[in-house]
Amino acid sequence: MTSERSPAGVGASVILHSYNVRICHWINVIAGGYLLLSGIHIFLDFPELYWGHTGYQGYPALFKLSDWGLSWDEAGALGNRMWGRNYHFTFAWVFLINGLVYVAWSLARGHVWRRLLPGRTELAPASLKADLVEHLRGPAQERAAATSYGPLQKLSYSLLIFVFVPVMLLTGLAQAPAFAAAWPWLLDLFGGRQSARTLHAAGTVLFVLFVLVHVMEVLLAGAVNRVRSMITGKFRLPEEEM
Amino acid sequence: MSKPELGASRIVSPRPMSRRRLLASVPALGGLLATGCADALVPPTVRGGLIGAADVLTMSTTRWLMADQPLAREYERSDIAPDFPTWGQTNPENEDYQRHLSEGFVNWSLPVNGLVKHPRAFSLDELKQLPSRTQITAHVCEQGWSAIGEWTGAPLTQVLEAAGGVSPEARYVVFNAMDRWYESIDMFDVVHPQTILAYGLNGDELPVGNGAPLRLRVERQCGYKNIKFLRSIDVVDSLAGFGRGTGGLSSDFGFHWYGGV
Repeated sequence: MTSERSPAGVGASVILHSYNVRICHWINVIAGGYLLLSGIHIFLDFPELYWGHTGYQGYPALFKLSDWGLSWDEAGALGNRMWGRNYHFTFAWVFLINGLVYVAWSLARGHVWRRLLPGRTELAPASLKADLVEHLRGPAQERAAATSYGPLQKLSYSLLIFVFVPVMLLTGLAQAPAFAAAWPWLLDLFGGRQSARTLHAAGTVLFVLFVLVHVMEVLLAGAVNRVRSMITGKFRLPEEEM
Repeated sequence: MSKPELGASRIVSPRPMSRRRLLASVPALGGLLATGCADALVPPTVRGGLIGAADVLTMSTTRWLMADQPLAREYERSDIAPDFPTWGQTNPENEDYQRHLSEGFVNWSLPVNGLVKHPRAFSLDELKQLPSRTQITAHVCEQGWSAIGEWTGAPLTQVLEAAGGVSPEARYVVFNAMDRWYESIDMFDVVHPQTILAYGLNGDELPVGNGAPLRLRVERQCGYKNIKFLRSIDVVDSLAGFGRGTGGLSSDFGFHWYGGV
């Protein structure tokens, strides 16, 4: 950010997030929301998870929703797999295209190297530990004023974009008979269609945890200022000198 | 339901189309596009809005990736599911089906109508006398379950060839079932070697719950396209006359016609 090199005055504003980041972020919120909701619909219509190539009612399961208080019929009544499939695949495309635009732009503009990927020193255990301690201590003044990502933030965003999303995409594709025929290595990579489905479901839990932590962090680090900076781009520097 | 009449002029080849020629008619994506045949990329009825756009993206992407017609994975005997599940309709209660079932399907036959040179019906024995294919594949239900079974049946190309071969206008094959279900597939899947009309499962006769006497296996599409309890086949150039015209009962309900994902 320019503000770090040429300190702005007290209460001054900077453009924190570029238009590309802002547009892609909110498309992601919509697509991610639909993917989650439609994915839950699909899952509820067959609320068991297995490992390997084979899995059906009566086959040894890794996870049964009925063990957690929701019977097969109750789950089935809640889930609509037709709605789920239609919207899941639609917003998977929205999510994918949006993500490709974001990554292409971020690579071209240097966003990935300058802002996103953690540096070697930031990845040092001491650096990560210090960042974690700061996070656990609560909302420090410096964090409310931060105009660049911290080490843990960089690490989690980078893992999300370059590891988590590709794994979710591939575990999704591995479940599709056409993709599995075109790319049989998908089945080998995850150890079978049911394994891919189970990993996809586990990834969904991780996604929900990410969203919860992400939203909590935004609220703790100055909700109005942070949310505005993701909508209009404008971020007001706090009273405290940086 | 439309049963298109076949005029002699619609047959290009005076000889029955060989399987090799049938396969050669859909060699690869380039060939498909060159012949103006976009059927392999776009569903017969494109739904509106974002969902329709995604349908086209999904179908054209997977078909492009499968342009060289790869086989769906075939497994080992040891992978076969101990008790292959049954789902949906497991014993059609209509009189017609129950009569055929009680007779052991000896009076059952499969009419092949429409854009074939010699429309005719096949008894179960006649289908079994055609060259057969046995494949150990995973049935992938769109609901989320999958199970591996060994299917034996007559490749669809063999059946069509025995009916004199298809005319160049043929775009879809419609499968009508005895439980009033219907589905259709396009020529891209029709010519695929793993697309078979199965009469056997795991070395035995096809069980009633799995679609006796005959079901479609279209291995690169989800379970709902693998229609059971076959009653007749229509080779057509348009799906307009069937149901609501979307090409299948599941797509009439609101599923995507193409079950590749």
